[in-house]
Amino acid sequence: MARYALSAVAAVAALGLTLVGCGEKGLGTRDEGKSKQTTSTGAKVLWLGDSIAGAQAPALNAALKASGVEFKDSSSDGGGTIVNSGEEITQMISGATWKQLGKDIESFRPTVVAYQVTTYDWGSQDQQRAAYEKVVDTAKDAGAKVVIVSSPPIKIDGFYKQHEAQMRTAPKAAAEVAGKNDGTVAFFDASQLWGTDASAQKAQRAPDGIHNCQQGAATFAKWFTEKLGKQESFTPASVDSWAQKSWTGDERYGKLRCAA
Amino acid sequence: MTRAADFMPSHLPLPAPVGGRPVPGRHRAAHPSGVGRAHIAALDGLRGFAVAAVLLFHAGHLRGGFLGVDLFFVLSGFLITGLLVGEATRCGRIGLAAFWGRRARRLLPALVCVVVVTVLATWAWGTTEHLRFALDDMPWVGAQAVNWHYITEQIGYWNSSDTRVFAHLWSIGVEWQFYLAWPLVVAVAARGRCAERIVASLAGVGALVSLALTVSLGAAVDTTRVYEGTDTRGAALLLGALAATAPVRNLVRRVPRRAADPVCLVLGCGLAVAWAVTGGEEEPLLFQGGLFVHSLTAAVLIVLTAQVPGTWAARIVGSRLPRGLGQLSYSLYLWHWPVYLLLLPRLSALGGWGGTVVAIGISLVAAAVTKRFVEDPVRFRVGWARAGRGLIAVVALALAGAVLWAAVPEPVPGAGTVDVDQLR
Repeated sequence: MARYALSAVAAVAALGLTLVGCGEKGLGTRDEGKSKQTTSTGAKVLWLGDSIAGAQAPALNAALKASGVEFKDSSSDGGGTIVNSGEEITQMISGATWKQLGKDIESFRPTVVAYQVTTYDWGSQDQQRAAYEKVVDTAKDAGAKVVIVSSPPIKIDGFYKQHEAQMRTAPKAAAEVAGKNDGTVAFFDASQLWGTDASAQKAQRAPDGIHNCQQGAATFAKWFTEKLGKQESFTPASVDSWAQKSWTGDERYGKLRCAA
Repeated sequence: MTRAADFMPSHLPLPAPVGGRPVPGRHRAAHPSGVGRAHIAALDGLRGFAVAAVLLFHAGHLRGGFLGVDLFFVLSGFLITGLLVGEATRCGRIGLAAFWGRRARRLLPALVCVVVVTVLATWAWGTTEHLRFALDDMPWVGAQAVNWHYITEQIGYWNSSDTRVFAHLWSIGVEWQFYLAWPLVVAVAARGRCAERIVASLAGVGALVSLALTVSLGAAVDTTRVYEGTDTRGAALLLGALAATAPVRNLVRRVPRRAADPVCLVLGCGLAVAWAVTGGEEEPLLFQGGLFVHSLTAAVLIVLTAQVPGTWAARIVGSRLPRGLGQLSYSLYLWHWPVYLLLLPRLSALGGWGGTVVAIGISLVAAAVTKRFVEDPVRFRVGWARAGRGLIAVVALALAGAVLWAAVPEPVPGAGTVDVDQLR
């Protein structure tokens, strides 16, 4: 009798494993149409940051690629900071980020390292400044320019409350570093785009009050691509060519409960 | 980043009934592991309390109720190991195929049934996200490995359990993986001398290794790995296993009832307080030994309840209501989360508690129907569930699930989410 039941569990598990092996069910299969061949500008952007930067990445990838810029998303769902504030958590995260950055520079050879300030960029302003200077030096050694983008306003819950003051000084430290390295480092102040109030419509936050949904990602991608285009002398592609493509079906927007 | 705290939990727990092969009532008092009839009722009752805690937690009414899953794990480790060492003592060996077969008969029919119905219900009433993730997760549920799928998806980090109708099945995956591995260990240990001492040592050492892993992984930003990992949650299962071995049982048997009563009272109150005051599944103390202490408390309570005859604790938890809930707990657990996700948003007019009462009521009815028409017939081998026919029924249902998986059209996510005019 056990034989039969055992066969049943084996059959069900095998079926499950087979389906797992089949992979996902045709995600992102919306027809992209025959996209126009884009001319490469030679620019290569390495994108760093936390999961907020991650939620911007799908649109940024689409916008930059449509503009002839290569893009690699190296943002992290789980920290992404480069600042070691001395706390165990940021020690751990920044260690992993620096390690990954070294690998990415080696393999991707970016011409621009773009870092969006993260919600884990804690520590004193000196510690923040030191970390941003280190990324500038690292990029310079690799022959790349640096863009530092301030983070969007987010809902400050209990977890962030204790670090709110430090999170406020991070963009100031970043702007200082950019000011000192004119020509090789640019600071993009995202408050021009999002404002400073996370609950305002302008901030375009997802239901979690922290990340963005597709419309916010597209808004950011257009803004960033235009600013980078001016700096790197390329013409951003029209939003019609990328804003409604398959990136809008990225799984993370489902996790964020963005309307489908 | 993000640790957004919704009322919905980011991790969901769960119970798998143990109970092994159906044993006629008259034989239960002489259960080889020493767990008598009244004590089985008490353990059913504990399962009832655990599932009630989980149901309230998921409805947003008991912030520490997720610890009910930990109690389930300890109970599973205790009962399964009791069956295994009992068989080893009686027969000198363990029939692994028969053991796994009994587990399959006990757990799979209701699971397959709930999964198939849930996908259909999600197709009909769920959001695009619910359907998309249900189809993504379904093969992993079938492979009994959905906990690892959720770990790679960082479901806790994104606080996205309420986008997944199978989010609660991670614990069933943990249990299955334990059922596959632990009997092998016990079977090998049973071949040597002092088998139960060896099993006890392995369980104790394993629980401590699991604790060390929990402490080490608990510092991460994303706690899905530590919360849903089979290795980290193994501590609860192994503490239950340790409590079921002869060295511990024999020690506990010497405890007089007058001493056991107040100890059980303190332990029971300790669990209740933990369920009431723990702030959520991301409470840092949980992964710094808190879960382990909870499991240890549960293990001591379980073994005292099972081994010391006539305690007040056994009488209270073995009373009718918790026992009845415990007997329904497996199906109830399987049903409640999809029912909550698909139904609660539609019951907002009834208020928090009103919606919860209706959703729990519907889950109870679904659980009772599943027990009556699926679990029990298979368990007690009624006509259609005997021998080859039972196998055909389960395989047919699983195939229906696979066909459903392939046939349900995957929603096209993201369409219409970007208004280009706003970008100009």
